Amino acid sequence: MSTLKIAIRTTTAASCAALLLACTALLLAQDQSPQGEKSKQAKAQNIARTFELNARTITLFNRQGKELRRVGARGMYGAVVLSPDAKRLAVLKADLEKENQDVWVVDLATGASTQITSGQSREFSVSPVWSPDGSQLAYVALRGGSFEICRKASNGQGAEEVLYKLPGIAQPTDWSSDGRFLSISSSDLSGGVLSALPLTGSGERKLIEIFRSPKQMQGGRLSPDGRLLVYFSNETGKNEMYVRRFDPIAGAGDPAGPWQISDQGGLGGGFWRGDGKEVYYLAADRSIAAVTVTTAPAIAFGKPKILFRIPDSIGPTAGDISRDGELMVMTVPPPQLRQLTIFDREGKVVKTVGEPGLFVQPHLSTDGSKIAVMKVDPETSNQDIWTYDVATGAGHAVTHDRWPHNAPVWASDGKSVLYVTTRDSYSSIYRRAWDGTGEEEQLFRYTPGAGMVMTDASADGKFVTFYTGVMVLVPLRPEEKALDRKAIDWLREDYDVVGGRFSPDERLVAYASNETDVNSLEVYVRPFDAGKPDTPPPGKAVQVSKNGASGMINWRQDGKELYYMTRDWEVMSVDVTTSPTLQTGSPKVLFKLPGPLVGNPPQWKNVSGDGQRFVFAMPAR
Amino acid sequence: MSHRITAWVAIGILLTASKALPHHNMTALFDLNDRVNITGTFTKVDWRNPHIQFFVEAKNDKGQTETWVVEGPPPSFFRSRDIAKTDFEGAIGKMVTVEASRARDHTTSGLLRVLTLPDGKTVSACPQNC
Repeated sequence: MSTLKIAIRTTTAASCAALLLACTALLLAQDQSPQGEKSKQAKAQNIARTFELNARTITLFNRQGKELRRVGARGMYGAVVLSPDAKRLAVLKADLEKENQDVWVVDLATGASTQITSGQSREFSVSPVWSPDGSQLAYVALRGGSFEICRKASNGQGAEEVLYKLPGIAQPTDWSSDGRFLSISSSDLSGGVLSALPLTGSGERKLIEIFRSPKQMQGGRLSPDGRLLVYFSNETGKNEMYVRRFDPIAGAGDPAGPWQISDQGGLGGGFWRGDGKEVYYLAADRSIAAVTVTTAPAIAFGKPKILFRIPDSIGPTAGDISRDGELMVMTVPPPQLRQLTIFDREGKVVKTVGEPGLFVQPHLSTDGSKIAVMKVDPETSNQDIWTYDVATGAGHAVTHDRWPHNAPVWASDGKSVLYVTTRDSYSSIYRRAWDGTGEEEQLFRYTPGAGMVMTDASADGKFVTFYTGVMVLVPLRPEEKALDRKAIDWLREDYDVVGGRFSPDERLVAYASNETDVNSLEVYVRPFDAGKPDTPPPGKAVQVSKNGASGMINWRQDGKELYYMTRDWEVMSVDVTTSPTLQTGSPKVLFKLPGPLVGNPPQWKNVSGDGQRFVFAMPAR
Repeated sequence: MSHRITAWVAIGILLTASKALPHHNMTALFDLNDRVNITGTFTKVDWRNPHIQFFVEAKNDKGQTETWVVEGPPPSFFRSRDIAKTDFEGAIGKMVTVEASRARDHTTSGLLRVLTLPDGKTVSACPQNC
């Protein structure tokens, strides 16, 4: 019998790949030259910061949500699955040095851990499921550029056995109680497929398709009798939980079901009590919901009942519940609640604004009177743009819908906020009044499927800039409609260019790049000619920072001072003169923050125009 | 499908490091389940963000020469693996082997999975492109 998986099985292939993508930025050139040593230090700092921001603690809870105890040390843990007897757990653990992720088994009584998979650098394993007797684990492994479904003894002994070579990406979601099948889930642009992989018999194994949908599907936990499968899908346009028959013999020919069991949205999970009479899932508001199941005279499901809600302080997590429903395990990240905090130039806290929340990347208006920030609603998991009045703490939702919004940038007059929203296949830049009134205005739509990280709007409102590795400009000519506006690859090189910021007089652009060291950013300034925006004016860029930067490039309103942040969370200032030639002074430390802070420093536009106030989202105490 | 909480986790991790973003949807253009192996002459590389692009001339089943256009990760991906632009430029005019995910429109273009350079050096674009 397998255990019951709650929540976020989606921390599998996709997020693992994302994690490893992040890790690639941490790589190190292996030379021992002074430059190599500097690069090694930069990598070590990046790893330390990544660990501090993301390392999780395996924590046990009872069914009322009360913490029982913590198991082992913090680690880069992902999905976690309890063994059938709930005495061990399988957990994904990333190695930031090797840039890989392996399956480990942890004994809950002793905390002792056993490494099950041993992938090479930049290989990874995901989606572990236990065999019914707990003696084996099945999982997907990326080996030599191909995905394989493998199994190995849960004591780590013996060789890894390849069960099936996947043509693309899919993941085992459960192991049937009779041991004969793995349930397999896959999703791509053509929709979702639930399948079964036979484990018995001889000859080449073939996937048996259970159900195919043009919509996305994920999960697929089997009922104790192996006849039903619970999964989540967006087939109604909203993520909900469903149950359908699992019959590898009838395959896709079985017409029974599906039954929608959630009524207010489901984020994932889907797991069964040991007697099969109750099924649980993670609701949209991060509550654990329970639904009664009857199978005679016909299959039927009750209305969802909330057991408890995962506290906001725990933040996003992955977890599992034992088959008796008494023990819950979660990989708990560092505290997530943050307080908007205003600092002066000496690093003294001047004021806190509003209540703590799930804030990321606060930006100050030029006059320092208002903050625009990304905020996640713990009730809905929606990410919206909010503004806050610094004096009163009053907040306004600039956006308030199901689309994810990010990258808020103040218009220079402080009356509206620009932001990026991805709707279906398109990322677009929009503008709306700072208090959320009126209609939003679409300013620009990018190539379908392409991402962008917006960092600035020029003072006269005629340009916005974002980066993709390339620094891109978009002229906002009033005579052009949003869909007709074209992006210009303003600085497209073989190094990454991020965090572009126009000087207040729009004659210069500051940005960060890893031109000299792939592991480290430095800040540069180049001339900008608004009359010829297709390409930078001739001339070499002036390097502003000296020993690395993480971002937070801001100009003082008079253009005579630049700010940036180092990898050590130091806020730096640099004097800038433009006459007779562009020159920058030596960087000076204004103050140092107790990092690490969550967010993307190249996007931080958090200094008031007079250079006297700085806003950060600090961990709430 | 909204995986908001998961996405949030991923973003928290991702945002700790700068990186290049693709400027189009790779999975929309390329079918990761449809792989093609190409052996041919390396003719050209465009070594720029947000992703590199290179060209390989290879014979098809009918013996006709086709030009394959292969997209790869950004230059920083290779720089951090101690593979330089000069490694690619040095391959021009020589035989290489490419494993790629084929374009959904079935043109002769692909998304790089693994490249084997003339000196036997193997360049894997996994896990990003796998």
